[in-house]
Amino acid sequence: MFRLFISGRATRVLTSSSTRNRMSSKSRSKRKPDQFDFVDKGANDSDSSESEESVYSGLEEEPDTSEEDQEQSSDQSDNDSSDNDDDDDDVTLDDKSGLELSTEQRKELSTASDDELNEINDQRYTGNVKSQNRKQRKQITVKTADRPDEYDYDSSDEEDIRNTVGNIPLEWYREYPHIGYDIEGNRLLKPEKGDQLDEFLNKMDNPNYWRTVTNKMTGQNVVLSKEDLGLIQNLQSSKHPDSMAENYQPWIDFFTHEKMIHPVTNHPQHKRSFIPSKWEKLKVGQMVHALKMGWMKPTKAKTEEEEEENFYMLWKEDEESEITRRYRAHLPAPKMPLPSHAESYNPPPEYLLTKEEEEKWQNMEPEERRMNFLPQKYSSLRLVPAYKRFINERFERCLDLYLCPRKPKIRMNINPEDLIPKLPKPRDLQPFPTAQAIVYRGHSDIVRTISVDPTGQWLVSGSDDGSVRFWEVSTGRCMKSITMETGSLGNMCIRSVAWNPHPDVSLVAIAMGQTVILVNPGLGDKMVTNNTDNVLHSFSPTEEESMGKKVYADWSSIDTSDKRFENGFRLLLQHPKEVSQVTWHGRGDYFASVMPKGDSMSVLIHQLSRRRSQNPFNKSKGMVQCVLFHPVRPFLFVATQRYVRVYNLLKQELSKKLMTNCKWVSSMAVHSGGDNIIIGSYDCRLSWFDLDVSTKPYQTLRHHKRAVRAVNYHRKYPLFASASDDGTVIVCHGMVYNDLLKNPLIVPVKILKGHAISHDLGVLDCVFHPSQPWVFSCGADTTIRLFT
Amino acid sequence: MMADENTPHVQAKFFTKQSQYSIPDTPYSVPAAVGTSELSSLINQILKGSDDSVDAGIEFDFLLDGEFLRVPLDKHLENRGVSSEDIVEIEFVERQPAPKPEDSLLHDDWVSCLQGCKECILSGSYDNTVRIWTTTGAPLLTIPGHSAPVKCVKWLSGDGGPTCRFISGSHDQTILIWEWHREENSVECVHACRGHAGSVDCIAINEERDKFVSGSWDKMLKLWSAAAVAEGDQEEQLEAPTKKQKISKKVQTRVPVLTLSGHTEGISAAEWLSRSEVCTASWDHTLRLWDMEKATQTSQMQGTKVFLDMSYSLLNRQIVTASADRHLRLWDPRTTDGAIVKCTYTSHNGWVSSVSWSPVNQYLFISGSYDTVMKLWDTRSPKAPLYNMSGHEEKILAVDWSIPSLLLSGAADNHLKVFQYNDEKHGT
Repeated sequence: MFRLFISGRATRVLTSSSTRNRMSSKSRSKRKPDQFDFVDKGANDSDSSESEESVYSGLEEEPDTSEEDQEQSSDQSDNDSSDNDDDDDDVTLDDKSGLELSTEQRKELSTASDDELNEINDQRYTGNVKSQNRKQRKQITVKTADRPDEYDYDSSDEEDIRNTVGNIPLEWYREYPHIGYDIEGNRLLKPEKGDQLDEFLNKMDNPNYWRTVTNKMTGQNVVLSKEDLGLIQNLQSSKHPDSMAENYQPWIDFFTHEKMIHPVTNHPQHKRSFIPSKWEKLKVGQMVHALKMGWMKPTKAKTEEEEEENFYMLWKEDEESEITRRYRAHLPAPKMPLPSHAESYNPPPEYLLTKEEEEKWQNMEPEERRMNFLPQKYSSLRLVPAYKRFINERFERCLDLYLCPRKPKIRMNINPEDLIPKLPKPRDLQPFPTAQAIVYRGHSDIVRTISVDPTGQWLVSGSDDGSVRFWEVSTGRCMKSITMETGSLGNMCIRSVAWNPHPDVSLVAIAMGQTVILVNPGLGDKMVTNNTDNVLHSFSPTEEESMGKKVYADWSSIDTSDKRFENGFRLLLQHPKEVSQVTWHGRGDYFASVMPKGDSMSVLIHQLSRRRSQNPFNKSKGMVQCVLFHPVRPFLFVATQRYVRVYNLLKQELSKKLMTNCKWVSSMAVHSGGDNIIIGSYDCRLSWFDLDVSTKPYQTLRHHKRAVRAVNYHRKYPLFASASDDGTVIVCHGMVYNDLLKNPLIVPVKILKGHAISHDLGVLDCVFHPSQPWVFSCGADTTIRLFT
Repeated sequence: MMADENTPHVQAKFFTKQSQYSIPDTPYSVPAAVGTSELSSLINQILKGSDDSVDAGIEFDFLLDGEFLRVPLDKHLENRGVSSEDIVEIEFVERQPAPKPEDSLLHDDWVSCLQGCKECILSGSYDNTVRIWTTTGAPLLTIPGHSAPVKCVKWLSGDGGPTCRFISGSHDQTILIWEWHREENSVECVHACRGHAGSVDCIAINEERDKFVSGSWDKMLKLWSAAAVAEGDQEEQLEAPTKKQKISKKVQTRVPVLTLSGHTEGISAAEWLSRSEVCTASWDHTLRLWDMEKATQTSQMQGTKVFLDMSYSLLNRQIVTASADRHLRLWDPRTTDGAIVKCTYTSHNGWVSSVSWSPVNQYLFISGSYDTVMKLWDTRSPKAPLYNMSGHEEKILAVDWSIPSLLLSGAADNHLKVFQYNDEKHGT
């Protein structure tokens, strides 16, 4: 930069000086001969050593060389140098004001040493002009220590002061031995000039003769240095005078396109900008007038509330608007399938329909047709008629496209194994029944119903052969068999048996035809059986209660003298319709009987201690399939074909209605906790309900292939079983947790096979042993089986 | 010895504890795939070589590390993880003779319980009667007395005297102590033990024969005096169970000396382990040990299945139990830690209803199952029994081995089968 700056300045100076040259060409031309007096003496050659002294002396005489002077002199020397070649050089004189070198002058020039000029040039054109000058001047001052430094008083603007004659034609001193005066008024003597012979000899001998010029001002010969010559040549060929100057410097972009913090230009604002605008003034005047006139209302100051509410929804932009979202989620319309061979005007013969096929095609519904056209063959494309259905098809296509919204289908990448719930292995859920242990044989017809006594020692079964049998569980021994008398009613099959769950009561309720019989089996603890008999015997009916009330069921006790008493018969309850089920309440005092055809009397609740019957429901809600008492609370579950209703017996209201999603409920069982029930249905399903959670099934199991006939819970173990017409009993692990947040764990653990299917009936009932993880099942093959 | 050089051979050393069959202690090279019969003939040859007096053709059984060889030798070694490179030490014992079916005693109803003494067999039946048979199969007496099926019978003293006593327990919740006058062939009920509130399922008499315990479905274990006269006996008129059987005698009612509760289900079997210690097996999956002098429960062993029967051997002091699954389990009541089930014997296909130790051989016991087969077991052969004794057509309800030479089984086909077992050679 610095260098460039200098050179730039130099050029400027050059131009200005050239103008000056033009302006005062005449005066300069006068002065020019003297300019060569200026010789730098610091770098004399050895061959010009003889002139050293004189040069020095000259300097001593004219020490005031200033920059301006140098410049000027350089200008002149430029001109001079351009002038200076006459014949032997190709330098041509183009400046009128340039000096013409006479032979003398040339002599003078030739006498001047090369190095002087060299120095001059250095001073003039190298970058560090000043510093070099200073250096030289220092040298000078060292040498001329006794003299005052010319630069102390010298300003660089002054002219060459080695010869003080000024800018006069030097011809005027032709006659004199001196050429001018130095600054102290002493004569500057002309250097000794040889004659023509000397000149000639010099010309012949001196190799530097051709570049020797004479400084007119001092009359000294100056040998032009190589640089001077280069300079001259550069000027002549219109190049940059300084050979060192680079024409193609690396580009430094001052004015970048980027915005800069600090302005490159810093010009002051224009004066105009301080003058108030006339038009603004006019405008303001108008507005003031409008305000005064009331045409314009000033804006109201904002209230605080408004200011407070001045906030922004920062992320508002993130929510795409409906339209942009729709654009982004654009789904291209599905492409029409490309025409196939069948659509060709000349299809291959196998694509053409035969007559039968065509007929079939005609008879099909248009929606069912695989192709909506008949392939036809034409011998040439020309013969193909216009397609009649074209508009129609386009229209339908449009309808398809806009009536059926397109939606991106998000495909989920799910490992199918992950969908299978993580269930524990059945092996870890033991104990549960796994194998058949004992077969109880004795019945001659299908065994419909079984029940286990509360201690688990006895089993009672009711069969279609009209007999009730009591079995010893551990051995399979039939301990007792009661055959019902087939009266006038014909077939007396036992529909339901239920052992009284109370351990201190020895009674079995048997539903047969229209009667419910309470039987004391006489098994187990003698004390209990005797007590039961005594209690029944000591009953005395209270008259007032039975008066004025509708009698739903007819209670009658069997006398001890009766033959049936020996069999254990104790009480008979005559019902108006056929009884399908009896079930005991957990305390053993109440029991319920179900008459599916009883309409409004389909469910009766009997109280044993008071020997009376109640009808809890006035209206029939459907065909009742089965009823169950809640194990701990006063609830009654009533299963109709589709629904299970839960009644609160104390409040006498419906507390829940369970949607079973089944077509026909067959059986129902309630968990010992009372919050979960399972329902088996004739459409092969088993539904688990969590009463706390929902009225819909918590889980539905479809493991059976045929109708589910019976379901049951184990009282202690987390097991439940379902018996089905496919001859199997499926045992499932059904753990109910005390933690309300934990859902029941249901794992099917075992399919128990053993029963044969007869008359399309398989297993009809299944009951768990009260204390062991054993399940009893009875079936149409007249057997009862124990699985352990 | 064997000709074929290509087959792999095993170095075997034979020894026996039966001195009459001792052979020199030299290892023999036998083919690896050799079975029991070949080994037996080999031993016979060796015996023949050493002593001419021994007749050939004795069947031997071979024991490796206390377990019978039932498969070819190499397979046995492979199963056990024993290297066939080393010398295998094989113990040989004379094979147990096969029991021979001898007699079948027909009852009127299911035979629920039985016990033999020296010359007689006592059996209880579901027709509420107790019967006495001779060991040769002749019926001596049919005793009605109970009003419900008899569940257990035990000889109190049956050793040859003119008067024998026995005890029977029944579904009618009573235990009757009977006196049988052999010469007159008349029976008399001397005591009626009342107190149980459920069917009496088991009776165990102690060694001194002055006390017995009974276990019942009512979960109670009761200790009774078996003496002829005991405190608290009361005169009582025994009801005639039916009008036909006009046995109306004066019997004394006896009350329990001790009642122990602890079981949560019915007790199915009881045994005296020592003078004061009783072990009971129950439906609540536990075996409990009771101290009868302190009247407390001393320890408890937890099983996984219902126990149906139990037997205790005085010879090896171990208990074998029959469960409501297919397995028999061997327990050692003396161990308190570690695996209390020492071995499991599996071969039955149904519930094992009863089990009985041999009175003379500490390794042998028999078991009867609902799969109608009675099996003779050696404790050293857990995978396979020594002999299967079939013949019954229904569930076996009781087995007994009180008489060393007779194996008895009673079943639901109304038969009591008697098997002759000749075990004189193994008088250990």
